[in-house]
Amino acid sequence: MAEQEVNIPVADPNDPYAMPAAMPSSADNQTRSFEVDDFKVPTRKQEDWRYTPLERISEFFDVFEPSGETKVTVSNIDGTPVDASQVVRSVVERGEAPSGTVMKPNDRVSAVEWNSGGKSVVVSVSGELSQPVLVDVEGHGADLDSLHLVLQVADRTHGDIVVRHQGLARLAEGVEIVVGRDAHVSTTFVQEWDRASKHVGNQRIHVGEGSSLRHAVVTLGGDIVRLRMDQDFGGPQSELNMLGIYFAEAGQHLEHRTMVVHNFADCKSRVVYKGALDGKDAHSTWVGNALIQPTAPNTDSYELNRNLVLTPGPVADSEPNLEIENGNIIGAGHASSVGHFDDEELFYLQSRGITESDARKLVVRGFFADLIEQIGVPSIAEHLMNVIDRRLARGESADMQAVLEDK
Amino acid sequence: MSTLEIKDLYASVETKEGRKQILKGATLTVKSGETHAIMGPNGSGKSTLAYTLAGHPKYFVDSGQALLDGEDILKMTADERAKAGLFLAMQYPVEVPGVSMTNFLRTAKTEVDGKAPAIRTWTKDLQDAMKNLRMDKKFASRSVNEGFSGGEKKRAEVLQLELLKPKFAIMDETDSGLDVDALRIVSEGVNRAKANTGLGIMLITHYTRILKYIKPDIVHVFAGGKFVKTGGPELADELEETGYDQYLPEGATESAMA
Repeated sequence: MAEQEVNIPVADPNDPYAMPAAMPSSADNQTRSFEVDDFKVPTRKQEDWRYTPLERISEFFDVFEPSGETKVTVSNIDGTPVDASQVVRSVVERGEAPSGTVMKPNDRVSAVEWNSGGKSVVVSVSGELSQPVLVDVEGHGADLDSLHLVLQVADRTHGDIVVRHQGLARLAEGVEIVVGRDAHVSTTFVQEWDRASKHVGNQRIHVGEGSSLRHAVVTLGGDIVRLRMDQDFGGPQSELNMLGIYFAEAGQHLEHRTMVVHNFADCKSRVVYKGALDGKDAHSTWVGNALIQPTAPNTDSYELNRNLVLTPGPVADSEPNLEIENGNIIGAGHASSVGHFDDEELFYLQSRGITESDARKLVVRGFFADLIEQIGVPSIAEHLMNVIDRRLARGESADMQAVLEDK
Repeated sequence: MSTLEIKDLYASVETKEGRKQILKGATLTVKSGETHAIMGPNGSGKSTLAYTLAGHPKYFVDSGQALLDGEDILKMTADERAKAGLFLAMQYPVEVPGVSMTNFLRTAKTEVDGKAPAIRTWTKDLQDAMKNLRMDKKFASRSVNEGFSGGEKKRAEVLQLELLKPKFAIMDETDSGLDVDALRIVSEGVNRAKANTGLGIMLITHYTRILKYIKPDIVHVFAGGKFVKTGGPELADELEETGYDQYLPEGATESAMA
């Protein structure tokens, strides 16, 4: 049989919209570099920074001498020492593997973090972990500090890692998550900073072939927290499940940006972020990017963001972006919403004798409860529900009055 | 012995086209132990009567009173009405994601009684009530009404009726969407609640089917926003024969039974 000639269409650079499928993806165009000067100083005109109050994080735009006020301790979740045969903590030069192996910095602040300070903390886990590992990151002051943390998960590991941020800090943080083959793990990042803390973080995540990663982010504290999380797969039949929970109060800016890249066939991703906002100038931003490359047939992806606005005055930005370069996929969906309380839900609860303020609390609690349960680490889930309950109890007086008066 | 007196009630609903008056002088007295069937064509205002009494924010009282043992419940918030002893079993119970039935029922019971129920008797009461309504145990751990079938939602409403023990219950088309078995189970629950607490019932329905299981003492025809005819159980049979057409306003084109 004669070979058939195959014509591959070529895009016309003068008219890119004539053949959208041949356009280079926007994600491909982004700079990746360890050099700070390869990135311009952020301005609100740059797409990645349009929602961020840049004036509050301008100290993170140039290389600095880290204060070393951030302490990292590693233990089991119940406080007991880790099993040294399964969990190893080490400190390496920042440029020494596995540090610096998961992609390159992708924006100015992550390049600044990389070049501010010389060491990386590596937590390596392997085998069947008998209980979750807790990486405690504690801030001890408002002087500018940097932390580069690498979570290295060996092939065929089963287990959970919790990274908890607390205390007072001004932290540029880089996190690399390297998941080997056929591993099934979860990583949960909890931000319970003091109210004055600032946290500018960049995560680079690699999920190995046949592995699944449940990645959860819970941001409750801090003055400003901005986390950008970029991910790719190491082979087919891998799975990524990203959960996010945030509760922004007056004056807080909590920003989460996820970038899921489907670069292999038969992979599945889910991104579900839910947030509540309470009080004047509470500000949340969620930007969910998903890129399905031509090399990723049978991709199954979905992303969702829901925002519940509890009082007048907050701002919630919610922006899903999908870039689909492969027609042969199972699905690529998204949903996004910003809303107030549902009157019907409140009336139903009130008609059973529950006061309006209690009904509101029940609804907010319910809004988060499903997702918190999915984190899959019971002690952390219980702790987080308690934190949210305390937050709700606290909001009852002045803020609740504001809601009622606004009606 | 308690009394619920609805006196010359006028009420409006907020619609996209503005406020529209639906209730036009509804007057009715219900006493403990009485079961009143309220029947009428679509759009006559039966559900508006139910929601106005329960205090739904979409409905506005223009004039009139609803006195529960002399206290005007129309001046109360929805939760205060529930605490005063009024219960509305809804036609379309609302889903509340993330709030478990157990937590919801205990919270409601605590609010209505003014104190938390004793744990041991409460657990037993809940289990017994669920068993009587042929509800699977796992319902207790599910979110309020979430993913329940139509029949399951109605059973959950009657479960609340049995546990909260109100003085008066308004059953808004509790029979709609139920198959014969579910209708019997739900009706048994209502009858059990009445036998246990002697509550008064306002049973809103289109059809006489449910009246085979829950026997009314008094039957009313509700049309054009008010009660237009009152009789004994025989009135229901008459309606079954003749329909509601004679009660429709002049010039109505749509058949009431459509």
